[in-house]
Amino acid sequence: MGHIAIEQVRCKGCGRCVVACPKNLIEYGTELNERGYAYVVFKGSPEQCGGCTLCAVSCPDQGIEVYNSRDRKVFVNTTGLTEAMTHYCPGCTHGVVHRLVAEVLEEMGLLGRTIGIAPVGCSVLAYEYFNFDMFEAAHGRAPAVATGAKRARPDRIVFTYQGDGDLASIGGNEILHAANRGEKITVIFLNNAIYGMTGGQMAPTTMPGQKTTTTPFGRDTADTGQPLRVAEMLATLQTPAFIARGTSHDAKGTLKTKKLIKEAFEHQAAGRCFSFVEVLSTCPTNWGMSPNEASDWVEEAMIPYYPLGILKRPEAVKA
Amino acid sequence: MSKVLMKGNEALGEAAIRAGCVHFFGYPITPQTEIPEYLCKRLPEVGGVFLQAESEVAAIHMVYGAAGAGVRCMTSSSSPGISLMAEGMSYIAACELPCVVINMMRAGPGLGGILPAQSDYFQATRGHGHGDYQCIVLAPASVQEAVDLMTLAFDLAEKYRNPVMVCADGMIGQMMEPVEFRTEGRGPPMAENDWALTGCEGRPRRIVNSLHLAPEQNFACNVRLKEKYDRAAREEVRFEVYGDERPDLLVVAFGTMARISKSAIDDLRREGRRVGLFRPITLNPWPYARCRAAMDAMPVGAKVLDVEMSMGQMIYDVKLAAEGTRAIEFFGKAGGLVPSPDEVAERIRALLP
Amino acid sequence: MKATNVLMAGFGGQGMLLAGKVLAQAAMAKGLQVSWLPSYGPEMRGGTANVIVCISKDPIASPLVSRPDALLAMNLPSLDRFEKSVVPGGTIVVNGTLIARESSRADCRVVRVDTRALAQAAGNERAVNFVMLGAYVGATGVLPAETVEEAIADEFREGKEKHIESNVAAFRVGLEEGRRAAFASEVHA
Repeated sequence: MGHIAIEQVRCKGCGRCVVACPKNLIEYGTELNERGYAYVVFKGSPEQCGGCTLCAVSCPDQGIEVYNSRDRKVFVNTTGLTEAMTHYCPGCTHGVVHRLVAEVLEEMGLLGRTIGIAPVGCSVLAYEYFNFDMFEAAHGRAPAVATGAKRARPDRIVFTYQGDGDLASIGGNEILHAANRGEKITVIFLNNAIYGMTGGQMAPTTMPGQKTTTTPFGRDTADTGQPLRVAEMLATLQTPAFIARGTSHDAKGTLKTKKLIKEAFEHQAAGRCFSFVEVLSTCPTNWGMSPNEASDWVEEAMIPYYPLGILKRPEAVKA
Repeated sequence: MSKVLMKGNEALGEAAIRAGCVHFFGYPITPQTEIPEYLCKRLPEVGGVFLQAESEVAAIHMVYGAAGAGVRCMTSSSSPGISLMAEGMSYIAACELPCVVINMMRAGPGLGGILPAQSDYFQATRGHGHGDYQCIVLAPASVQEAVDLMTLAFDLAEKYRNPVMVCADGMIGQMMEPVEFRTEGRGPPMAENDWALTGCEGRPRRIVNSLHLAPEQNFACNVRLKEKYDRAAREEVRFEVYGDERPDLLVVAFGTMARISKSAIDDLRREGRRVGLFRPITLNPWPYARCRAAMDAMPVGAKVLDVEMSMGQMIYDVKLAAEGTRAIEFFGKAGGLVPSPDEVAERIRALLP
Repeated sequence: MKATNVLMAGFGGQGMLLAGKVLAQAAMAKGLQVSWLPSYGPEMRGGTANVIVCISKDPIASPLVSRPDALLAMNLPSLDRFEKSVVPGGTIVVNGTLIARESSRADCRVVRVDTRALAQAAGNERAVNFVMLGAYVGATGVLPAETVEEAIADEFREGKEKHIESNVAAFRVGLEEGRRAAFASEVHA
């Protein structure tokens, strides 16, 4: 049977793998690594591990390698990411989504032709993590920067990686018009229903009643409006596009989301249309929850309001 | 090459293409709209890219993206639109990317009006956006000079990897004058370089970034920028002197206001008065030393008159040049009113003994 | 030639900006320096539209002129506003079709033309601008008439050739009117 190798120094002890393992073979640890995190430990024996990789799929920190019964690596960390350890909080799924993007680009052989753009937000340092040419951009402006880069280099793959404060609030105009023009770019939109970087203020995507530092009594929708469903809004545009929503809160959802991201880049690589993948993600720190409570909250509170799936595909490739 | 009669705005658009800029991102605003209107027809003819952005904010960030991807690119706007571009200009300067921005200045503040003004002088020369950065600022006084300065603007933008602003008042954009283009057809593309993001195939990856959370690193970035600006101050200062060399009154004016002053000076010299003009062509770097030399050549008691289409902005640079050695008088109008040659002449007469 | 500055003013749509452009083109064709500076404003139909054309053998200093050598006034507001600014001995061409009063400037050469009637006679009632331009060129001899006619023809190239003849004809009837007025004023003097 298989086994896993946990790289202690990378582990932030978030425990997402603990929940992901179908056989409960991983447990929270008590020993601290050099960064002060109580790293998780594999408590099972090789006979028990099926090598399913769900632990590695859920890990936001590239901290788990999985081997099968013949000791062959079945989960390989992507070369699309640098070795750098991310600054994200334990249990934040930015790291998961970074990995999905990098894996897709690597699998498609596009790493050497890609220009990424990460604007202000928790992912502002994404240029430290993505292992290819990267722009850092001003708050909300990534779709405009991507427009300029793609128009300058139409044969390159250009994508933006934006959070909800960035894309849905200050950058509302830029995303709307880039989508409406049908820019041949890909937008990865992380929706965690809050401003993370600045410490937990209300975002346009914050849920009704959700407490944030600027809605301390819960979001009052009569006063601040309803959460914005950006994917649905963009899907109403007449311009052909690929618009989808996935999630990163659990391993199963993450695997599905990877397919959506892959399709998005395929549309761009074919020069077909604007492509947009919203990914629901967790912000345990600012939600005031443990990582796994946060995952549950995505399931219970967010997905009913932000349904998963493909909202729009270009006519030409509709099955 | 033969001369053609062209509107300033259209001539600027053509000049950009001749300078090898075939990527334009902009947003309509009077009195510069003929620039995008001209380029949207011309750029497709030369295989270029014209894009009407959703806002000036988006336009300048499209320029950021295109410049970062290593193509010659530009935008144009007028005062209120330039205010919206402040953010992007700061990023472009911080990331050391080359681009050209035209400001066809109109009267402000606020929505102001659409008539000519020089009231964005502070904005152009004192940073505009946030942080310790500067733009190189070129101020043409005629349509021909505007055309010539466009070529220079792209050269300087790439030499210094810094935004260059061509700052003219609305009159230059709206006026027609004969123009001669010194080169034929579409100019050359930006040279290969070691910073543009083009995909990292076969080379180490590159990053275009202005985030430096470590203060020492951020300071180093600021020092590097300042060294460039100091170098530009040594190497790029441009100006014109006109009229008497040892005048009893020296007018200091730029752009259209300098031309208007020339007519006043011509009239006064015909009356036997000794009057001169000092015209900065680079508003940043400002020709302090040369202006001072012009002042020092004047007789004792001679006067200096700063004339602007504003309430007095460049006058602070004239005072810096004088370093207290002479009193600086001011004459100007704002809001879209333009001092006429007669008004300038009258003001000069009143100051002369 | 002596440097000359002409202010052409009227309602938007009366074609004064175009007439000014033609004059500037013609002067350029003669190797002269020119500038063409329009008033620009939030103009709606019927708003004012002025242009100052400067012509000189030397580089033009100010394209904005306080005291023009000539005024072409297409309507009463233009005459009211600019009449006083014309230099003594200058030329004022008055559009008699729309302006009932006489010019108050006895020290200027005043040419009054019924632009509408003359344009109609030339077969193009819209060409009032070229009637005015003709009258100005005829009265002042600022440029050879044939150079201006060539500039008019150049303006109507590329699919608009059919308009050349009637616009040139309008210019010519204006030209005759201007020459007659200039001759009369010299005889009178």
